[in-house]
Amino acid sequence: MAEDFDKLIGDKKIPHKIMWKRMFTYVKPEMGWLILAFLLILVNIAIDISLPLFLSKLTDNLQSANISLKVILMIAIGYCLLGVIGQVFVYLESMILQRAGQKIVYNLRMEVFEHIENMSQDQFNQMPVGSLVTRAVSYTSSLSELFTTILVNLIKNILMIIGTYGIMFFISWKLSLSMLPFVAIVAVVSFFFRRIIHKIFTEERKNISDLNTFLNENLSGMKIIQIFNQETRKEKEFDKKNEKLRKTRYKVLVAFGIYRPLISFIYFLAIAVTFSFAFKSLVSAGVIVAFYVYLSRFFNPIQNIADQLNGIQKAVTASERLFNLLDVPPKVLDKDDAIEINEIKGKIEFKDVWFSYKPDEWILKGVSFTIEPKQTCAFVGATGAGKTTILSLIVRNYEIQKGQILIDGVDIRNIKIKSLRKAIGQMLQDVFLFSGTIKDNITLHDDSYSLQEIKETCEYVNADKFIDKLDKKYDDVVIERGENFSQGQRQLLSFARTVLHKPQLLILDEATANIDTETESLIQESLEKMKNIGTMLIVAHRLSTIQKADQIIVLQHGEVIERGNHQQLLKNHGYYYKLYKLQFEER
Amino acid sequence: MLFGKYINKYYLKYAIFFIIGIAALILVDVAQIYVPQYLGKIVDILSNVKEAPLNADQQNQILYMIIATIVIALIMMLGRFLWRITIFHASFKIEANLRKEMFLKAERLSQRYYHTNSVGTVMAWFTNDIETIQEFFGWGTIMLVDAGFLAILVIVEMFILEPILSLVAIIPILLIALWGALVEKFMSKRWEYRQTSFDNLYDFSQETFTGISVIKAFVKENQQLKAFAKLARRDKDVNVDFARVSVLFDSLINAIIAIILAIIMGVGGYFVYAYVTNNPVVLFGHQVTLKPGQLITYAGYFDLLIWPMMAMGHIIAMRSRAKTSLKRITRFLDEEEEIKDVIGSEDLKDVKGKITFNHFSFIYPGSNNKTIDDISLEIKEGETIGIVGRIGSGKTTLVNSLLRLYNLEENSLLIDDKDIMKCSISSIRKAIAYVPQDNFLFSDTIENNISFSKENLDVDLIKQGAIFSDIDKDISDFKQGYETVSGERGVTLSGGQKQRISIARAYVKKAPIMILDDSVSAVDVKTEETILKNIAEQRKGKTTIVVASRISTVSHLDKIVVLDNGKLEAFGSHQELLKISPTYSRMVYLQKLEEEVEGGN
Repeated sequence: MAEDFDKLIGDKKIPHKIMWKRMFTYVKPEMGWLILAFLLILVNIAIDISLPLFLSKLTDNLQSANISLKVILMIAIGYCLLGVIGQVFVYLESMILQRAGQKIVYNLRMEVFEHIENMSQDQFNQMPVGSLVTRAVSYTSSLSELFTTILVNLIKNILMIIGTYGIMFFISWKLSLSMLPFVAIVAVVSFFFRRIIHKIFTEERKNISDLNTFLNENLSGMKIIQIFNQETRKEKEFDKKNEKLRKTRYKVLVAFGIYRPLISFIYFLAIAVTFSFAFKSLVSAGVIVAFYVYLSRFFNPIQNIADQLNGIQKAVTASERLFNLLDVPPKVLDKDDAIEINEIKGKIEFKDVWFSYKPDEWILKGVSFTIEPKQTCAFVGATGAGKTTILSLIVRNYEIQKGQILIDGVDIRNIKIKSLRKAIGQMLQDVFLFSGTIKDNITLHDDSYSLQEIKETCEYVNADKFIDKLDKKYDDVVIERGENFSQGQRQLLSFARTVLHKPQLLILDEATANIDTETESLIQESLEKMKNIGTMLIVAHRLSTIQKADQIIVLQHGEVIERGNHQQLLKNHGYYYKLYKLQFEER
Repeated sequence: MLFGKYINKYYLKYAIFFIIGIAALILVDVAQIYVPQYLGKIVDILSNVKEAPLNADQQNQILYMIIATIVIALIMMLGRFLWRITIFHASFKIEANLRKEMFLKAERLSQRYYHTNSVGTVMAWFTNDIETIQEFFGWGTIMLVDAGFLAILVIVEMFILEPILSLVAIIPILLIALWGALVEKFMSKRWEYRQTSFDNLYDFSQETFTGISVIKAFVKENQQLKAFAKLARRDKDVNVDFARVSVLFDSLINAIIAIILAIIMGVGGYFVYAYVTNNPVVLFGHQVTLKPGQLITYAGYFDLLIWPMMAMGHIIAMRSRAKTSLKRITRFLDEEEEIKDVIGSEDLKDVKGKITFNHFSFIYPGSNNKTIDDISLEIKEGETIGIVGRIGSGKTTLVNSLLRLYNLEENSLLIDDKDIMKCSISSIRKAIAYVPQDNFLFSDTIENNISFSKENLDVDLIKQGAIFSDIDKDISDFKQGYETVSGERGVTLSGGQKQRISIARAYVKKAPIMILDDSVSAVDVKTEETILKNIAEQRKGKTTIVVASRISTVSHLDKIVVLDNGKLEAFGSHQELLKISPTYSRMVYLQKLEEEVEGGN
């Protein structure tokens, strides 16, 4: 799935040097801990490397003429102590790294989440939600893992290899020199293996994603397949992809099937060489035992390095995507000298407003109108006439291309966006409910509202009636997207949500869906009350809403073609008259 | 081992791979036992000679061991290669087979199934669950055989070598195996917490970004960020907690292993000391004779025993995961196939295109209301028929019944006077060219999408289809023409373009019956006219049914069916319907108004 989300606007390569520099800035605050962890790692490696020496010394003591029970016991106790202490250090080191890593993830997630939240509406429309979520949640941990797991292990392994070889050299330089050819072979084999496996893994990932895309699509389009009798053909297509994946898996298998046993073969050859030193009794038994143990500690890390190098590459790619997202600046921004608005009277003016989502496809073509304070204004028109767009422009979800929008005579571009939106209560057409309780959905998790306040508000907007009938009332659970509530109930909830937040100006995009008559009358009643709050702008789909409006603005193809109240407009026998007949007569 | 009715057969089918693989595993296990023995022997040889040069016999012994080690290395390399190649090969084969079986099942399941189960759910079985089963067949088998056999082999060798010492060493390590299994259980719970906390974070982000318009409208960005911070902090804590426990367990086990090894060194060392100083320890009437090299061999054995003990816990956890996955997959494969040929069904041949609804009623399974209520009408061969009615009046159900997407009452729906319930499903669908409401296209080239009904269709015919649905010009405008890929990876087509490609796709079937289910709703009026004109010309003599929401789409057709709430309100020509059908007249009126409104002043 992740692969599907990889396509995002603005994905571009960032030079390696800059990448590492940027990644490092997130790690810097934890640098102290990382250094401490590094020191512990050094200690641990030293302990790890010295442990086999005990066995070696034991061997030498056991078969020497002056065998001593005291020495034997000392060795055993020493081994025990060092082994246990070593594990304590391992624990400390791991925990320090974990904590530091989690802290990095936390800070990074906060930064990314905040950045995404502040993107403008049209940027949201361009990016699939899934890919944003992956970036905020998953890719952030990739970056941290790179520093706290992958790089750490890489360093550990490298130190382990060097340290082990060093001590082998110290024990018997002759024997360790004879290991060099094996080291060279393993290094070369691993190098090539890494290249090959990287290629095969990429291929495997691609084939998995191909197969899943195929499955997803064909399960979705199963009806078409069945109706067109194409089951056999699809089966063949499936077979091809299924087999292709199996064959790449087989390639992975063969690659590992050769690599791993080959390394173990080389390891045993190295042991045979060690034994051969006994042949001429060049070294003591203890040395042979020590080498026997050290060799396995020497060959294991070499095999792991290949994996870790691949891991680095993956983590860097993830971070790159993250930075690409962070580099997209929000489109709608406050001007430097933007002002806060506190009290608004509610006069709204559109002066020759031109707006388009895409270049040259004008949605609004020179729209002008004035709405006086406390007035209720209904916008009507056919689908696509631009009604909803007008509402979203007032709250600055988008920037207009030409003209001016004024509130109380102030251009909205000179008002701080947050202060503007706080003053305006928006009731959108598709009432989005979050999973959580009814209460959460009304307060939007703002704990400063008391239950009493919430109840009063719900009473005010007539939402109390259905809420009181719920099992747990205000604590009743809303499932994802509120699918357990009807359109009408959702509308009422959105009214409650809006009124609770004490707006000074209201905009409402009426639901088009059918709402049962009982709920409908509750909604209408509640709308009447809300008109007292202040100026109200409604994209109206219901006759009663329109009839009661102080002003009706009729739009067609992005232009205002008629204005007036219901009676005036009907008398004109113009466009509104026809629209009225079409939409409301006898439906 | 994992058993179930859908996988047992694979054990037999791939028995040869499993047998060779297991044999290779055992061979490797046996072979690696020798190396610690050689190490011990060499130590003993060296301790006997004490700085003097080795005699010829000793030299021969060592030479033999060196050669043997190389031979063992070779055997182990081949053995390891062999078990990987065979057992994993079998596990991948099983994976592919099982996935195919599931795909075949998916193709036979009814539309109802897909309405009740989301594609996402089914996909999870296809991906995660199958992979879990594969993992168990591969790694599970290997770990089980390898760990089990190696553990037994090594423990036996250890007892033969020195029973008393083994009592000291083996009991604690068996406890480790037991403990490992417990820890695995304990950890899996914490693993779940971790997963849940991650899921919460994921869901919260998803919801915030989906409902961002509300967040922005109520200026709740800061609050949402705070809530996210809470979840992120929780995720951090849970992760640290998980790490603490898992690192702690790991460290503890490693510490215990170090302690046991220290005991082996201490106690074993004491035994050797006693033996070498000619004062051997006697315990339980058994005289302990442990040479230095034997103690080293013993330590080497112990080393071999560590991994099987650690593996036990993993195997148990892996098996329980695989069992759950297998249960899900079995349930899917057991799913009833609702729509299938009745016994003794015959192929529909040389279809003329006469369709008869004979007191046809339809109730969706599980529903109480009749979606279609007692409809009787006859569509004559070669007629072009329209179907109109409000949303939910049963238009789509009516045409879907023709496609035999449901099980119907006998003798209620006939094609060429034959009961479609007694005809083979594929022959019915072969006779019908269908354009669905949701214009679903595959992410493939336009050419392949049009020729979906038949592979390697004649290029001219494809073009003919495109001309029929008035999409040919659009396609030619694309840079890659008919080779243009539709969908995510290619060109994003508009709804109207998709609809027209769907029409072409149905047209090229040249079927005796064609059904367009509200298929021109997204094209402009002029294109619609062209398509209707093409239908009139090119489908002459063949039955065509056009479901529509606009009157203009059907008004010129031979006859029109008007549905109201599942019932047949009227059936006749445009002129007749204007007189007898209120629903129809009203739709005509509304459409006229709409034209004026949309068209402007």
